[in-house]
Formats: sequence, structure tokens, C-alpha cells
Amino acid sequence: MRLVIDQDRCKGCNLCTLVCPYRIFLPGKTLNRKGVVVPELDRPERCTNCRLQKLYGRTLCGLCVMICPDQAIRWEEEEPHEPHKVAIEY
Amino acid sequence: MSYQDWFRQDRLPHIYCSGCGNGTVINCTLMAVDELGWKEEETVFVSGIGCSSRASGYIVTDSLHTTHGRALPFATGVKLSNPDLNVVVFTGDGDLAAIGGNHFIHACRRNIDLTVICMNNQIYGMTGGQGSPTTPAGALSTTTPYGSSEPAFDLSELAVAAGANFVARWTSYHVKELTRAIGAGMRTPGLSFIETMTQCPTNYGRRNKLRQVTDQVEFMKNHTALRQKLDRMRESGQKVPTDIIAIGEFVRRDRPAMGVRR
Repeated sequence: MRLVIDQDRCKGCNLCTLVCPYRIFLPGKTLNRKGVVVPELDRPERCTNCRLQKLYGRTLCGLCVMICPDQAIRWEEEEPHEPHKVAIEY
Repeated sequence: MSYQDWFRQDRLPHIYCSGCGNGTVINCTLMAVDELGWKEEETVFVSGIGCSSRASGYIVTDSLHTTHGRALPFATGVKLSNPDLNVVVFTGDGDLAAIGGNHFIHACRRNIDLTVICMNNQIYGMTGGQGSPTTPAGALSTTTPYGSSEPAFDLSELAVAAGANFVARWTSYHVKELTRAIGAGMRTPGLSFIETMTQCPTNYGRRNKLRQVTDQVEFMKNHTALRQKLDRMRESGQKVPTDIIAIGEFVRRDRPAMGVRR
């Protein structure tokens, strides 16, 4: 699965940068075509839910999706599934 | 089916300001509804007037957008005429505590089988930031330019005193706990009242030195404590700071309820 921010819905409040335990969301720097500074994704393949949701059969974490007031964050299916090399930071 | 299917996709994005906590509360409510497995045709969302009350318009089920403060009487009518419906009321602090205060205590007294979700942003957000009954003492607003001098309303304690069957308070930062509390409230027969403290960056945070949305959410994170912890602190004689908000489950009891599904 893949983490996606909907460019049409995001209003740039940066709440996702506050809650992500992996700090995948970083405050953005450039305006998008709607004039909103959308957060940037820093190595989104580290997201636990994207990696392990299929294995565990349930939603893990999911804080960014729930706290996003504009329903802009979602997980997309990747077809075919590509395994990613993930560096775990301690 | 996921909680995203409960949104009217053609109405999104909604009109709430950037960073408004009401969207988070809608997410949590729909997640709880989705976990309970309610059907769309058996669920009704009722709301009054205000920012928070626009929430029912973004949900695919039947909804009622009613007059100011009168969401609870309308919801009572819906529930008593057809007890098979699941009725959820979205309301704000100005709607529930100010103009609809009397309806609120009587709905709690009658203990009708509703779920009332109050998005308490501590200000009248839609009309330009006037002070509401829940504006904390000392907070600035357009009608309290030198700081609010009145004590604020504690809606959860009011609901406990008036006789609601389930009362909980969480903030829009505590999304997982809020979802769990809303689910528990929906399962409880009788009136369940869930108060959620939400941020209002445009009208509350901007005037009260919390300019960024994240500042206000961090403030809610740092200035809340579990009710049990505060009770323990008081018992052991420690001094509790006055700006700490008690969160958690306040009461869960089994008073006789009206309008429960037969």
C-alpha cells in the first residue's frame, strides 16, 4: 500500500506532521496549484500501516488518516505489490 | 465498507477552515459508526446551527439541519416516532449550552436513546468569534476584549448531574480514545453525551496566542489530564493547576431510558 495526500482536499494545516510517530510528514515549502502548502512525504515506505496491514489483517496506527480534518490522507493499493527496502531507525 | 463511504464525496472538501477540529470529530464518529455496522438507511444525523452543525450535511445518510439550539427536540421526535432508527446529534457549544441549554438538560433527564456529540470549540466560531458560555476565564474574544471574566460551563458535569447514561470528554487530539468513547456511547441505551474539545484556529487560537493550528492542538495535549488522575492528585493533597481540563469517561450507568429499540 502507498500513502497519498489528496492535493485537492488538503488545506495545509500540518496536523499530520504533529501526530506521525515516524515523522513521515514534513511541513511543505512550495505552493501547489490550488495555492496550498501541502506537507511533503519523507520516505513514505516507512509507514507501518502500508507495510504490515495485509500481514496483520487490520489497520495499524492510522493516526494521520483519522486526525486529518479534510479527509485528504488515504492509503492506495499498489498493483503489482513492490517490496521496498526499509531502513529501520533506532 | 470503510468510513470514507459514509461521506458525500461530491460535497467534499468541506467549508471548514484549515485545521478546524470538526473534520477530525466527523472522522472519528464515522469510524465508530462503521465499526458498529449500522446501516445507512437506519441512521439519522441531526444538527442545529453553527460550524459543527454543518457536519450532518457531509454524510450520506438522512440528516436534519434544524433551528438554532433545537437539534435535541427534533432528534427526540425522530427517535420517539421510530425507535428503530439510530439517531446521532452533532452540536456545538453555542448550540447546546447557550441557546439549547434547557433542551439539553431535559433530554438528559428523560434519557432518550440518542448519541449527542458536542464539538466544544469554546467560542462562537461561525458568527465571528463572540464569547460563548464555555469560553474559559481570561480568554479573549470579540465580546470579551479584556479577557472573559465569567466562569465557564462544564458541560460533562452538567450532563452527569442531569442524568445522562454515558458521559465522556476527549479532545480532537485523542482520536483513538474518542472513537472508542463514541462507539461505547452508541452501544449504551439512553442518552450518551460525548464532549470533544476542538480547536478553532481562526477565531479562538488567533486571538489567544495560539496562532498555528499545531500550537492549539499541542496546548490541548499538554493541558488535559485523565479525570482519575486529577482525583488521585486531589486526594493526596497535591495542588491541581486550574487550567487543566479533565478528560476521560465521566459516568456509565443504567438509568431507565426512553425510546429504546424494541
